[in-house]
Amino acid sequence: MSEIALRSRFRSSRAWARHLVLGIRIGGATAIAVFALSTPGFTSPISINALLNAISFIGCVAVGMTFITLTGNIMSLCLGATVSASALVFLASLSFGIVPAFLIAIAFGVVITAVQGALVGFFRANPILVSIAGLSLLIGGAALATGGQRIYPGGEGLQIFKGRVAGIPVEAFYFFATVLIGQLVLSWTRIGREMTMVGSNPRAAAAAGVGTAMAVTVAYMIAGACSAVAGVLLAARYGSGDMELGTGYDYTAIAAVLVGGTAIQGGSGSVIRTLIGVTIIAIIEVVLLLRGFSQQLQYLLTGIIVLAVIMLHTIGERR
Amino acid sequence: MMNRAANALLNPTARPFTIMAGAIVVLALMDRGTGYFFSLGTVFSVMQLFATIGLVALGLGLSILVREFDLSVAGIVGLAGCIAVMTGVSSPWLGAALGVGAGVVSGVVQGLIMTRLGLSSVGVTLGGLLTLQGITYVLTENKTLSYPNMAVALGLNEPIASLLSVRSVAALAVFVLAAMVMTYTHIGRDVIATGSDRRAARVAGLNTNRVIIGVFAASGASAALAGVLLSYSLGAASPIALADVLAPAAAAAIVGGVSVVGGRGSPMGIAAGVLTLCILRSGLSAIGVEPHVHDIVTGMILIVIAFLDAPDLARRITAWRLDRAEREVS
Repeated sequence: MSEIALRSRFRSSRAWARHLVLGIRIGGATAIAVFALSTPGFTSPISINALLNAISFIGCVAVGMTFITLTGNIMSLCLGATVSASALVFLASLSFGIVPAFLIAIAFGVVITAVQGALVGFFRANPILVSIAGLSLLIGGAALATGGQRIYPGGEGLQIFKGRVAGIPVEAFYFFATVLIGQLVLSWTRIGREMTMVGSNPRAAAAAGVGTAMAVTVAYMIAGACSAVAGVLLAARYGSGDMELGTGYDYTAIAAVLVGGTAIQGGSGSVIRTLIGVTIIAIIEVVLLLRGFSQQLQYLLTGIIVLAVIMLHTIGERR
Repeated sequence: MMNRAANALLNPTARPFTIMAGAIVVLALMDRGTGYFFSLGTVFSVMQLFATIGLVALGLGLSILVREFDLSVAGIVGLAGCIAVMTGVSSPWLGAALGVGAGVVSGVVQGLIMTRLGLSSVGVTLGGLLTLQGITYVLTENKTLSYPNMAVALGLNEPIASLLSVRSVAALAVFVLAAMVMTYTHIGRDVIATGSDRRAARVAGLNTNRVIIGVFAASGASAALAGVLLSYSLGAASPIALADVLAPAAAAAIVGGVSVVGGRGSPMGIAAGVLTLCILRSGLSAIGVEPHVHDIVTGMILIVIAFLDAPDLARRITAWRLDRAEREVS
């Protein structure tokens, strides 16, 4: 067989695979939609509110994680701890007033991840290793600072971070604002475009004059800010905080990022995709709950679906 | 002297042992001869900790060695522990075999998915982790299981020569076995070759897919054994309690000299890394330092290693020196 014939056959088989993946994706999305809408009570205000609540906390962290994955740094194991620690900082500084406390918490989150981002960006240190170091330091530091106690707030005005406006949980507004700002930074600012370039090919980006180290550092800072927003919302909702608050958020967040279709190797992805990923996972959880599946079966089915979706995406993007 | 110390820190093969010796010396100095640190009790508790974290670190370290990252070890520890406790009431050996078997199966399945479909390990093992946790929740019906066979629990923790227990001897035996396989058989050479340069290894005729699947099976088995031993010796298993092993295990493997760019590391190095973390944790609490200081110390050691191993460190320093030299000239 001639080389050209081989090549065209190879190409058509790849195109065929891509069509197949697209078909399965559309089929899967339709199946989820039909499954959800045919579930009695799914469209009720209570269930919609539960859905919005479920996506708000984890969603903020997932938006932050998107920036880390997108710049080619896989994931951070430290964002869950950043959520908890900034919640503690927020509660501890409530005596200065609600707005200063919010700003202090965000600044804290940004500083924590900026240091990690600088190590990864400027020296190309291993991102997972750096995040585990950050995790250890945060857990140890927080335990020393609080003596291992829960923190109860000493200020007023937590209402602006919880409750409802027009029947919709306030947390959802903060989450959608985070998504909006995140996507705007990513697609409409210079540094946002540079992040995508760095993720898809760091050497080419550097050759094209991109400040790769700065782009990575800023991506980490955004991840810290987003995690701190989640921390503030959680602290306001529960009225107290400890280091357990954000435990496990790292894994759920990266799962949402991957389900949304951001590539694990970086360079391709968006905040909107992560919004879709978070929503898909939350819809599955709410539907399983409404259909009366036990908690443990919910965990199992969610795990299997996440695994299936991740496999599907990566098959589509395979070289 | 300074140079030799710097070399010992920068030479990756010697580093785990240097750090471990450093930790022992510093703790001994802090102890100031009160004898709390150099006691049989401290050694025993170090080895008990070693039995828990060590086997998980070994599995994870092997996966890092071939440039992959097995996140699912955290899920396997929990699942294997629960399976062993549920099936091993009358015959502990059967429970242990089923638990370890589950680890092997999970590793092989994930390895097959990765190699057959050409997927990255982080994505697949993340899905694997969530699925394994789900299976554990379903099996235990979201409850803590107790293991009525207390003779096994007591037997596993029975001190041997006041220093070791059956549990820590088992963990040490696995490490010795792994070290022998890696040093004296072609399997070890194949694993290192796959981790150093997978394409070159494949060109040289090595079936790298088989190596990857084997490494993930070994990683699953090792983590599963850790879960089985821990659940038996606690006399209980629960789906949530064992989830927090990933970070310490990864830290131990890295301190133990496993390179994140692949192809470098050894079971004995990993053992030294695990021992270092255990010595810090038990040693600091033995001499009466606040309990969470070891987290901070571990974090700082990891930051320093991440910094020293960073590929662009030398380039940045050279650029900075040139810059300063230029400024002095002008």
